[in-house]
Amino acid sequence: MNGVLFVKRNPLTLVVVAFAVALMLYVGFHAARRSGPGFAPHLTHSSLAPDFSLESLDGQTTRLSDYRGKAVLLNFWATWCGPCKIEMPWFVELQNQYASQGLQIVGVAMDDASKEDISKFAKDMGVNYPILIGKESVGDQYGGVPALPESFLIGRDGKIVDKIIGLRGKAEIEDSIRKALDTKTASSQASAAGKNTTSQ
Amino acid sequence: MTIDHDELQNLKVGSNRRGCGTLAFILLTATVLAFSQTPGKAPSITMAAVPLTTAQRAKATMVNLNFRVPSGYHINSNTPKSEFLIPTALKMDLPTDIVLGKIEYPAGEEANFPFSPDEKLSVYTGDFTIAVAVHPLHSVVPGKYVMHGALRYQACDNAACYPPKALPLSFEVKVVKEPPEHHANPAQSPHIHN
Repeated sequence: MNGVLFVKRNPLTLVVVAFAVALMLYVGFHAARRSGPGFAPHLTHSSLAPDFSLESLDGQTTRLSDYRGKAVLLNFWATWCGPCKIEMPWFVELQNQYASQGLQIVGVAMDDASKEDISKFAKDMGVNYPILIGKESVGDQYGGVPALPESFLIGRDGKIVDKIIGLRGKAEIEDSIRKALDTKTASSQASAAGKNTTSQ
Repeated sequence: MTIDHDELQNLKVGSNRRGCGTLAFILLTATVLAFSQTPGKAPSITMAAVPLTTAQRAKATMVNLNFRVPSGYHINSNTPKSEFLIPTALKMDLPTDIVLGKIEYPAGEEANFPFSPDEKLSVYTGDFTIAVAVHPLHSVVPGKYVMHGALRYQACDNAACYPPKALPLSFEVKVVKEPPEHHANPAQSPHIHN
């Protein structure tokens, strides 16, 4: 009761409390947006990225597991998605910059456009990484991908390191790429574990 | 003027209740604002109820369909500026003998977004109206007819886009007979009855 009376006496307190609550909600919401498990309940950090097989623009069948040992940025996008278009030139630069360290960017086109239209779009954007023709079932494996762009950063061991939903800054994407590049392959993790056991 | 103890208590309780009410309102508003653009949930365009429209046979009657885009979102106009963007389009399934005339789309609002700083997009935000011409043929039996259709759109917010969606819609049209033709009496020749 006294607390409420205090609030009554200080209307400014109401504003401060409301602001604090709004700030907490905002921070929580953005944390969830960046990597929250609520988006894809079964996919959390350290989950093994679900494997899939999709056709690329050049007609090759590509499996995600083909890139095991590399850090992968798996980017779900569509030709009708404006924010996706902003990211693509960044991805081209980042692919050039980090390829030697083992980065592989993989685009998955999640739209109904024809393969020719997707090819034209990718060519216009100067894409230098493989583009796969997406399927709803693959989207479902990754939580339904209800909004685009959505990217998953996958470590060299095939485990999800980070998830980025919506358009973020290039620097944030680069940070996540570094996190993925810093991971060790499953075999090197096993050999490190073996050495530890031997040394004990 | 004196206020006794009970009146003072009542005043305190009243002000406490008002304080709680205000606090609850502000918290609710803050919560709504914070979650108003929860990513991952595609926004839904809504259409206001369409009042019964009377359409005369053999004549085109315009029916206005009023749509609302939720705050914080936009959809492409009917004439987006890129071949890759999905235009907002109304598709009607009309009963036989009721012809769909032209559909009038509003002009898009030219706007920049954080993801298109250098390129203006043509979009609809907030409320917009699409007008459909309904043209019952002369052979249509007068009565009420329900028109069904769907509005196809693709929405985005400032940072993400959502897959295309279709909003099923319907409205009722009352077809009435055309008014009887007015036969003016021809001017009579003064020689007719001679």
